[in-house]
Amino acid sequence: MSTADKTLRIDVVDVGCISSPPDTTLLTALEAANINIHYHCREGFCGACRTKLIEGEVEYTTDPLAFIDDDEILPCCCVALCPLKIKVPL
Amino acid sequence: MKYTTFNQQSTNPLVEPMFFGNPVNVARYDQQKHAIFEKLIEKQISFFWRPEEVDVSRDRVDFQKLTDPEKHIFISNLKYQTLLDSVQGRSPNIAFLPIISLPELETWVETWSFFETIHSRSYTHILRNLFSDPSDIFEDIVVNDEIKRRAADISKYYDDLIFATQLWQTQGEGVHTVDGVPHTINMYELKKKLFLCMNSVNALEAIRFYVSFACTFAFAERKLMEGNSKIIRLIARDENLHLSSTQHILNLWARSKDDPEMAQIAQDCKEEARAIFMNAVQQEKEWADYLFQNGSMIGLNKEILCSYVEYIANQRMTAIGLDAPFEISSNPLPWMNNYLNSDNVQVAPQESEISSYLVGQIDSAVSEDDFADFEL
Repeated sequence: MSTADKTLRIDVVDVGCISSPPDTTLLTALEAANINIHYHCREGFCGACRTKLIEGEVEYTTDPLAFIDDDEILPCCCVALCPLKIKVPL
Repeated sequence: MKYTTFNQQSTNPLVEPMFFGNPVNVARYDQQKHAIFEKLIEKQISFFWRPEEVDVSRDRVDFQKLTDPEKHIFISNLKYQTLLDSVQGRSPNIAFLPIISLPELETWVETWSFFETIHSRSYTHILRNLFSDPSDIFEDIVVNDEIKRRAADISKYYDDLIFATQLWQTQGEGVHTVDGVPHTINMYELKKKLFLCMNSVNALEAIRFYVSFACTFAFAERKLMEGNSKIIRLIARDENLHLSSTQHILNLWARSKDDPEMAQIAQDCKEEARAIFMNAVQQEKEWADYLFQNGSMIGLNKEILCSYVEYIANQRMTAIGLDAPFEISSNPLPWMNNYLNSDNVQVAPQESEISSYLVGQIDSAVSEDDFADFEL
C-alpha cells in the first residue's frame, strides 16, 4: 500500500480538511497542516488541547491524565484510527 | 466528627466519598476508588526537581540591564508568585487533609503541597541571586496593597472551610457562637464551603498563575532572565498537573461520580462558582494594570495580557462545565505554548547546569577506538 492510502482525512470544523499520516499524533498532524491549536504539555496531563470529537475514533499513545469529557479527546497523545470530524481549540 | 490520625473502625475506601466520609486509616494504594489521583502522584513524582539545579547567576547581569518599569514588572511578578505558592504550600494540607476519606487523594494532596514548597524555595533561590539581601522584597509581600487584596481573596475560601471544619470536628453540627458570632455548622454548609474553596483553588491554578507566567516568559522571549524562566517552566509544568487534579475533583462531583450531595451543591452553587472565576479574571486584569503602571515591556503590554487572561479563562471555565464568557477565539500569546510544553523542559541533566551531575560518575561509553593501542 502506498502512504497515500494510509492517510486519514480529518475534518476540522470551521477550519478545513487535512490528511493525517498514520503514526503521528493528531496534534502533530494538525501542526503539519498549519493549524495551530492551543496546547501546553503535549503529554496528556494538562488538557489544554481538549478537542471535541464529533465523528470517528482515536487511540491514545499515552494514558491521558487531564480531565476530558466523553465526547472529547486530547490530540497531543492520540492517533486517528479512522477519518475524523473534530472541533479544535484555536 | 472528631478527627483521628488512625481510624480504628474498619472502613471500605472503595465506597467512601472523596471528602467528609470516614477518616483514612491504612494508606493503601492496591485498590482505588479514583485511580486518577494515584496516576497524578506518579506523574508528579517523576517531575521532581530542585531549584539549585538551575543556574540563575547570569540573571543578575540581565537584571541590571532592565529598565525601571521592567524591573517593577519582574519583581512584582516574583512577589505575587511567592504569595501564591506560600498559600498553596500549606493550605491544601490544612484545609483538605482533615476531611479527606480516600488514601490516594490524601497522598495526592500531600504530594501536591510538597511541590508547592519546592516552588517557594525556588523564589528565594532566584531573589538571593539578584539581591545581596532580598528581605525588602519578601517583607513587602505582606504590606503591598495590590498583593494583599489578592491574598485576601485567595485565602478567604480556605480560611472559611478550615474554620468550619474545626468547629465541626470539635463541637459537631449545630449553631456555635464564637466571639459573639453565630456559625451554622451542618453537612450541607460544610460541603458548600468545600465546593467554593475547590473552585477558588481551581481558579488560582487555572488563571492566576498564568498572568505571572506570561510576564516571565516574555522576558525569556527577549533572551533575558533565562535562569528564572527555566525555573518558572518547571513550576508551570507542575501547576498544569495541579490544575488537572482540581478539574478532576470538580468534574467528579458535578457528574455525580462521587458524592451525590456534592452533585447537588455543584448545581446549587454554579453561579457562585462562576463568580469566583470571573472575580479572579477581574483581579488579574487589575494586576496587569499595576504591573504596567510605569510602562510596558517589549512584547507585552496590559491589553495583550488582559486578552490572554480572557482567552485562558474561556479554556479553563469550559473545562469544568461553565460557559465561555469572553469573545476571544484565538490565543493572543501563541509563544506561551512553547514554554508550557513539557518536552521543552530540559530534563537531560548533562545538558543543564547541574553541578553535581558528573561528580563521582564514571564515563561508561566505550568505543572501538579506545582499544586502538591495546595489545594482547
